Amino acid sequence: MRPVDWLEKHRRKLFEVIEKNKSQSAYDVIVSYSGGKDSSYTLKLLKQNYGLTILAVTFDHGFMSYQALRNSQTVTRSLNVDHLIIRPAEEKMRRAFVKSMRLDLYSRKALEKASSICLSCMHMIKSLMLKCAIEMRIPLIAYGWSPGQVSPRSAVVPLNAPLIREMQKSVVKILDLLLGKDLRAFVPNEKLFDMFYEKEGRDEGGSLFSVHPLAVVEYNEEHVLNEIADLGWEAPGDTDPNSSNCLLNSFANWVHIDRYGFHPYAYEIAGLVREGWLDRERGLEKLAVPAKDEIVELVGRKLGINP
Amino acid sequence: MVMDYLSTIREFVVENFLFGDGNRLSVDTSFIENGIVDSTGILELVAFLEETYGIVVEDEEIIPENLDSIQNITFFLEKKLPLTTSL
Repeated sequence: MRPVDWLEKHRRKLFEVIEKNKSQSAYDVIVSYSGGKDSSYTLKLLKQNYGLTILAVTFDHGFMSYQALRNSQTVTRSLNVDHLIIRPAEEKMRRAFVKSMRLDLYSRKALEKASSICLSCMHMIKSLMLKCAIEMRIPLIAYGWSPGQVSPRSAVVPLNAPLIREMQKSVVKILDLLLGKDLRAFVPNEKLFDMFYEKEGRDEGGSLFSVHPLAVVEYNEEHVLNEIADLGWEAPGDTDPNSSNCLLNSFANWVHIDRYGFHPYAYEIAGLVREGWLDRERGLEKLAVPAKDEIVELVGRKLGINP
Repeated sequence: MVMDYLSTIREFVVENFLFGDGNRLSVDTSFIENGIVDSTGILELVAFLEETYGIVVEDEEIIPENLDSIQNITFFLEKKLPLTTSL
């Protein structure tokens, strides 16, 4: 585990950026909210520990666990947080996920960390969050990534215009392949993008930040579950052990293991074990539990693929 | 000196972002365009530069022009280091 002062340094940086960007807009932060355990805990921390005005955004791609959707509504109500659900047409998402499986979209390095279906979903979500933040002039975008997914030194990522422009180029290339003409619903309007950065002089320091509060907490899964249980969150019974919101995950893992011969969560879990946040035995358990056949079949049917 | 930067940076990128496989990494390969480094990975890179070369990278310096390839980082270090060492 990292020394406490090292964690504290990054915690302080997160606190400073949050304080500096408070009360600049109708919302202080837009939270990418899946209804899963980590993003529910993130929402709780941002509301109760940092006192932020929050817009929680749930991207319902059509394969959310019913319980996760219920959790998203229960938790946002408990915390008294505004909640926006974006639910693209099912056919649009089906096409995007099938293409994610069939096209060679991602580098081997990217696939070491997540399945191609998950990577496509993350591209859509990150671009949507950026679009909402820019078009609604919200200075902070928060994600519930666990310490295994993101290091404490990345708890705050400054998103200045040149960096975002370059990153969006590769995102747009992929979204174009996945979504075709529907791409525009997922990417920021260019004029509003320029206005956001240029009118307020954000080109200089970049006052849009991506923040990851769980990167600087002493992460403990049991503690997280207890904290969100107080908000009415209940564990879904139909997801695999590496997701608490998404049914597609089981299917995506199954495809990934079949194609590449390793579990797409191995990297994240190894990170959590290495940093001391997860017991090694528990980590191996998470990787060993096979996907539920009935869920893989259900998702496969919905996608029009026979697993 | 430039060669030192090149090999040190290359080694870090190959070890940390390419899992030891640097076959297709040339000095001008764009990290972002090729999905080698994402927005959170950029800060891993920044932390490495700060720790290795004793510099402070300001938020406004975290831009592709300074960090998006081995070559860009080398140019950035060349600009940055004389200023730092003269302080």
